[in-house]
Amino acid sequence: MKKAISLALAGAMTATLLAGCGGAASSSAATSEAASTAESTAASTEEATASEAHEINTTDPIELTISWWGGDSRHEAYQKALEAFQAKYPNIKVSATYGAWSGWEEAQSTALAANQGADVMQVNWNWLYQYSPTGEKFVDLRDYSDVIDLTQWTDAAKDACIVADSLQAVPISMTGRIFYWNMNTFKEAGIEEVPTTYDDLIAAGKAFQEKLGDDYYPLAIGQYDRMILMTFYLESKYGKAWVENNECQYTEEEIVDGLNFIQSLEDNHVIPTRPSMIAAGFDSIDKSQEWIDGKYAGIFEWDSSANKYQGALADNSGFTVGEEIKFGDKANGGFSKVSMGMAITTSCQHPVEAAALIDFLWNGEGAAIMGSECGIPASAAGLAAAQAADAVKPLVLEANTKVLAFVDMPLDPYFESSKLKDTTDGVYTDVFDGYSYGEYTAEEAAEILLDGVSEVLAAV
Amino acid sequence: MSAPATKTYRRTPFKRWCDENTGLFFLIPWILGFLIFKAYPFASSLFYSFTDMNFFKGISQYGIMNYVEIFTNRKTVSSLLTTVKYAFMTVPLKLVFALFIAYILNFKIKFVNLFRTVYYIPSILGGSVAIAVLWRALFKDTGVVNTILGIFGIAGPDWLADKGWALFVICLLRVWQFGSAMVLFLAALKGVPADLYEAATIDGASKTRQFFSITVPMITPVIFYNLVTQIAQAFQEFNGPYIITQGGPRNATTLVSLLVYNYAFKVNEMGMACALAWVMFVAVALLTIIAFSSQKHWVYYAD
Repeated sequence: MKKAISLALAGAMTATLLAGCGGAASSSAATSEAASTAESTAASTEEATASEAHEINTTDPIELTISWWGGDSRHEAYQKALEAFQAKYPNIKVSATYGAWSGWEEAQSTALAANQGADVMQVNWNWLYQYSPTGEKFVDLRDYSDVIDLTQWTDAAKDACIVADSLQAVPISMTGRIFYWNMNTFKEAGIEEVPTTYDDLIAAGKAFQEKLGDDYYPLAIGQYDRMILMTFYLESKYGKAWVENNECQYTEEEIVDGLNFIQSLEDNHVIPTRPSMIAAGFDSIDKSQEWIDGKYAGIFEWDSSANKYQGALADNSGFTVGEEIKFGDKANGGFSKVSMGMAITTSCQHPVEAAALIDFLWNGEGAAIMGSECGIPASAAGLAAAQAADAVKPLVLEANTKVLAFVDMPLDPYFESSKLKDTTDGVYTDVFDGYSYGEYTAEEAAEILLDGVSEVLAAV
Repeated sequence: MSAPATKTYRRTPFKRWCDENTGLFFLIPWILGFLIFKAYPFASSLFYSFTDMNFFKGISQYGIMNYVEIFTNRKTVSSLLTTVKYAFMTVPLKLVFALFIAYILNFKIKFVNLFRTVYYIPSILGGSVAIAVLWRALFKDTGVVNTILGIFGIAGPDWLADKGWALFVICLLRVWQFGSAMVLFLAALKGVPADLYEAATIDGASKTRQFFSITVPMITPVIFYNLVTQIAQAFQEFNGPYIITQGGPRNATTLVSLLVYNYAFKVNEMGMACALAWVMFVAVALLTIIAFSSQKHWVYYAD
């Protein structure tokens, strides 16, 4: 009897295990089903494009998934917007996955590789090029132009998201880098006006050191910030984009000039050295005690980040959007880019409803809730809805307006390739940390940077 | 009166096979789990290590290029050496510290169970954001450690920015989590026969002599066990550098497991990640074999 019970239990365990494996099998079946659905969808959308025949299902129960990264305020905005969407379409249930940026790309790229990404995905611009270079991961949103009003985006904005002749995402917002200053600290150092030239920066560095002490700096920039600032400098001085036609446009000598520019900021106490920033033990500048207390009195950040940095200050009354600084006379220099996009993965089984969700979030009522949480909406209708609801933060709008009015250079999408940009292991980190640590000369650092960029571009 | 006839059944060959192999049925769940979740990934990782497998580009090249790269690339060689350095710093420190605390907690002192619990707590905290925040608060340039050192007029180093000290900070995290080794030592210490100490005391042996001549030899099996498991753990260390230094500064704390993660999930070069994992596996296996072959010289089994 005991043996029979034991055998039955073992059988049950085996069955359970097989059921677990069956889950995988069925999921792969589901994947292939999804793939065939995607295929049939692609086939049917061709008809749909011709006949504009997509119809949002408002009767059958449908489950969608969505993923995004961001901070708490963005999470809250998305959740409210999703509640509104589900109230409008009671048959559609939307499950969300969200988190902070740290570790997010690794998780999402792995999910994409396994065709397990969320149906609707907030994507970084370079993901389209890096993870879907042939268009196999995200659907062509032009196939759903009868559901998403694509006319609300400019052609230039949409073109930036066309990869492999497929509109793989719609831009949520356009963004660029600009200076922000904590004028309270500047005033303590005897400076009343925001810096607008290189000389102003150098003068501020000296004033900070003399009047406030060695711990105070007018500007703090991390390794990736240094790369962007150097690019702004080089583009302004030499009048050419960093990368064009899949080739870095700068010689080693010119890059050495750029590195010396960054070094001059360190030498003149404008920015802290990388070792001193690492020694301070913070993840990001906004979380550093130095920023919170005003010892770091400036940052060079995305226009959409204004609120995060302002909110972190112990006394934020002096937080000011600065002016872009023109470092040369050949061009303004600098770039704007799609800050993030919204895409539908090819594994999505309900692309029409997913398209409806995107339209709701960025063209419709949802845009009024999202406001400027993901930057200034790139959709005209979305921006109008957000402004009508008074949901656009003036600080973000001011920064965005200044950035877009200033920058005049294109950005290569591989500028943000994880091989280059990664803050732990990327080429930019190696170059700027190695240079600041004194391990590389400017010439060595320039060579490493040029080799790294060329390697990434060669792999395209 | 003759005994009642008993009815005998002849077992069929199938029934006999079933009876003889009943144990196999009980093992089926484990065997299936092992094959699917251990053996298959293990074998496939070996296969992928000889390819340039990329999550998004697939495989385009086969060969030993990953292994050549591992032993010629500055970054990977440095990571391998750092991992060895980390293991050689952490394992002895942790064993000595765990044994020391276990030795103290083996005395009859008040609230001994409370102390044992308290000392075990760090082991269950593992790697978390809270630990990262705590460790950075301790070791940042204006942190608790440097503040305390400053009271004594000592200018502390930049723990997190200095390449040598940063690795030490990571080692300390693992040493701090000595609870499981301590519990094993405690159990071993309790197993040392008291009459050995009584005899040694009568013979006039000092406490130090007793410790090195009785305690240590008697607990060598546990020291050996802890040594082997701690070496394996040290070579697989991931949490410390990931949460506290992210491998920095200047890759000074990029241990191999972190590099495997970077290759696999940051740049999607799964072939290279698999090759690195296999190099690590072979290194740990070799060290384990060396440890096992050395035990006849220094491990004392009472029976």
